[in-house]
Amino acid sequence: MTPSLQASGIYKSYGPVSVLKDVSLNVAPGTTHAVIGPNGAGKTTLFKVLSGEVFADRGSVLIEGRDASARPGFRRVRDGVGRTFQVARVFGEVSVLDNVVLALEARAGNPQSSAWQWLGVRAPAALVGEARDVLATVNLERRADDLAGVLAYGERKRLELAMTLALRPRMLLLDEPMAGMSPGDRVEAVELLNRISQEMAMSILLTEHDMSVVFALADHVTVLNYGEVIASGAPEEIKASPLVREVYLGHDHA
Amino acid sequence: MDQIALTLLNGLSWGMTVFLTAAGLSLVFGILHVLNFSHGGFLMIGAYLSYTIGARLQAGSLWQFLLIALACSVAVGLLGALVERFVFRRLKRVSESYSLIATYALLILCQGIVKVIWGIDFLSVPPPSELGGAVTMGDFIAPSFVLFVIACGLVVFAIMDMVLQRTEVGKRVQSVAIDPWMAGLVGINVNAVLSWTVVCGFALAGLAGALLSVNQSLSPSMGSALIIQAFGALIVGGLGNIRGAFVASVLLGLITSFGDRFVPDVPGLFFFVALAAILLIRPQGLMRGLR
Amino acid sequence: MNPNSISTTRRADIPIFAALLLLFLSVPVWADPGLVFLAGVALVQIVFALSFNTIFGLAGMVSFGHAAYFASGAYAAGLMLKGSDPSLLQALAAGGLAGGAMACAIGTVALRRASGNYFAILTLALAELLHIVISKSTMLGREDGLTGIVRPRIDLFGLVTLDLTQGTTLFYLLLVLAALFGLGAWLMWHGSFGRVLAAIRQDPDRAAFLGINVHRVRLVAFSLSGMGAGLAGAMYAPLAQLLTPEVAHWSYSALPILFCLLGGTASYWGPVAGVLVFLGLEHATRNIVGLSEIVIGATLLFVVLAFPGGLAGGISRMARRRKSVVRQVATRNPAAMAASKEVDA
Repeated sequence: MTPSLQASGIYKSYGPVSVLKDVSLNVAPGTTHAVIGPNGAGKTTLFKVLSGEVFADRGSVLIEGRDASARPGFRRVRDGVGRTFQVARVFGEVSVLDNVVLALEARAGNPQSSAWQWLGVRAPAALVGEARDVLATVNLERRADDLAGVLAYGERKRLELAMTLALRPRMLLLDEPMAGMSPGDRVEAVELLNRISQEMAMSILLTEHDMSVVFALADHVTVLNYGEVIASGAPEEIKASPLVREVYLGHDHA
Repeated sequence: MDQIALTLLNGLSWGMTVFLTAAGLSLVFGILHVLNFSHGGFLMIGAYLSYTIGARLQAGSLWQFLLIALACSVAVGLLGALVERFVFRRLKRVSESYSLIATYALLILCQGIVKVIWGIDFLSVPPPSELGGAVTMGDFIAPSFVLFVIACGLVVFAIMDMVLQRTEVGKRVQSVAIDPWMAGLVGINVNAVLSWTVVCGFALAGLAGALLSVNQSLSPSMGSALIIQAFGALIVGGLGNIRGAFVASVLLGLITSFGDRFVPDVPGLFFFVALAAILLIRPQGLMRGLR
Repeated sequence: MNPNSISTTRRADIPIFAALLLLFLSVPVWADPGLVFLAGVALVQIVFALSFNTIFGLAGMVSFGHAAYFASGAYAAGLMLKGSDPSLLQALAAGGLAGGAMACAIGTVALRRASGNYFAILTLALAELLHIVISKSTMLGREDGLTGIVRPRIDLFGLVTLDLTQGTTLFYLLLVLAALFGLGAWLMWHGSFGRVLAAIRQDPDRAAFLGINVHRVRLVAFSLSGMGAGLAGAMYAPLAQLLTPEVAHWSYSALPILFCLLGGTASYWGPVAGVLVFLGLEHATRNIVGLSEIVIGATLLFVVLAFPGGLAGGISRMARRRKSVVRQVATRNPAAMAASKEVDA
């Protein structure tokens, strides 16, 4: 089966500093793939290359078999990839509901999503209804009319996820989805992601630091160190790998 | 051959004019990351001050001229200190776009002040006696003032580059420009560096205004014309980068000078053409900035 | 009506619009011809300011050379009105198109680096280029400009003839044009395109990752803004009957910035307030040379330093922010503070 996302031979340097060297990974459809590694390993840069925020110097990125290496971020979104940011970014000046409405209006294939759309002073009721449904998926429907800038951090993350889901992606790229969340929020978030993964047959790639989250969610793990892939496999294999343990020495994990 | 040499010389002189304007601008941008539109206004004030003082003292010699230029530089520097204290410090809290508008407003204010004090008529400053004529170089004759401007530009660049790269003070300025937080941690008095650098930037504007006052007719709109050219040089050279500004100024000066020979009816046209062209090809400028 | 919805001010908008309309309608009744002329200028500047605010207040782009599009439209219309068989409609259309085309051209160069500084310099420099070209162009009358621009007669469907040489008639026509423009711009502002622009202003990266082609949207918005400015210029041509390169000068570009900041960029009607306040001020200080620049400069400076969002916007944003900070303190998560610095791994 064609992988949802396939990166082959990614090289990326910033000036003289080589950040990624020959990185390859596959995300099988409907699975969750975690990328882990110590700070400075290149996770963020890899994420940027996969999402289209930057382009690799060498190597290719294929989305559902089609070459997306030169496609900028917004085109990859239209190809079916949704992406969240490490620090959740939402439109703080408008309401929670309107954030999702915006995402719906921007959605590719949505009849009203062209830049040429002038009128439509009020978003159609169908769109608003759909927006409320999406908010319900992430348990935010109670906050629909609140200003997005007012949300607590965990709620903001959920709103961002809602906006991303509203785009009906077939693949999610999550940049450290658990960053900054309290343990309670984390448990909820893991449940949510598991549900999304199963109910929507969503392919997910995420970068993470929290090992318990990785083992709860991931079907496949890739380990980066100094820009290279040092291990790739099922979570149990990675857990048992002495090489990975050595790299993570000092981390509180058995 | 003579024509080419003259065009070359004019181009260099033009470029140095732009650089003299851009030098202080680049300094302020490098440290505050704010494009100071009012730099043109203060340059203009420097020029007008030079006119007034020169007229009062009946100055004629080169040394008197240079002294007056220094005096104007100090005067404008003092004005700059006031502006830094009351305007620039407040701009730290304001977003980038609004900072631009604030300095733009200052420029308009300068223009108004000049109109009120000196009127709207064109004024001219007679060149000092030593620079009024021309110098014979081999086969052709070069106006002395053109050579003087080139010399000024080179001297100012040399001094700035040396101070910034080789002295303790310069290193402090650079570190504040690159990372003010870190600079503060290692014990540098960031606020003092910021204030003094800005004052120096303004002083440079005053100096440039006074030095260049001979080369053009003074009018309340001269500030804006020069500032736009300086901006162009800054962008092409890479924002915040003095060496880049120098290279860009010379390059743009030469292109404009040679271009003017082809289109003499619209002087300065090639400057903008070159600006647009360079930026279309290489949006980040020629050299990387301090930042 | 949800107070936090994007489409907030709808209820207040209708009475405001009506009030403004009535105000302007009444002017020829109580004012002398000089003031009627000034009111006409106000209408022109309102169209200019509203066009500018589309990219400034809504999309967050600060253009320093908007006079270029006003001038393009003004001169285009002026040329058409000086030709044989002048038609106001054609002149207006030409003006709008000229302004839009110029904005598209300049925007293509300037938006390559849409960051504040680059964009500001490029829009300024390219506008200055146009200014130079206009002041050296013989066809456009050089420094003396275009004189003797005709105010044509309009034949409405063969039923009514409008003689625009009558100041009052021209004023009413300008009012109709301005009102229609205001309505159209309002619809755009509050429609989905306006929402997209507001999103781009708040967070362009987030918008991009919603699938929005940020660059193209900005260019489209910029061109539309130029079209509006061109239309304003085209309205100005028959009103003033004289155009000089001054309308392309950089200080002319400062005017819409001032209007928007003075009146408030967040509210749709802010620029209108700004125009009215400013023109009042300028009219009062017009006789002393240099004073208008001092007033403009000082006012602009004061507003930026004291009220970054303009008078109207600043107040409402301050109120909102106080409310949100209070709530956020109550629910703040200490872990969020640690995570708020992005880890570059």
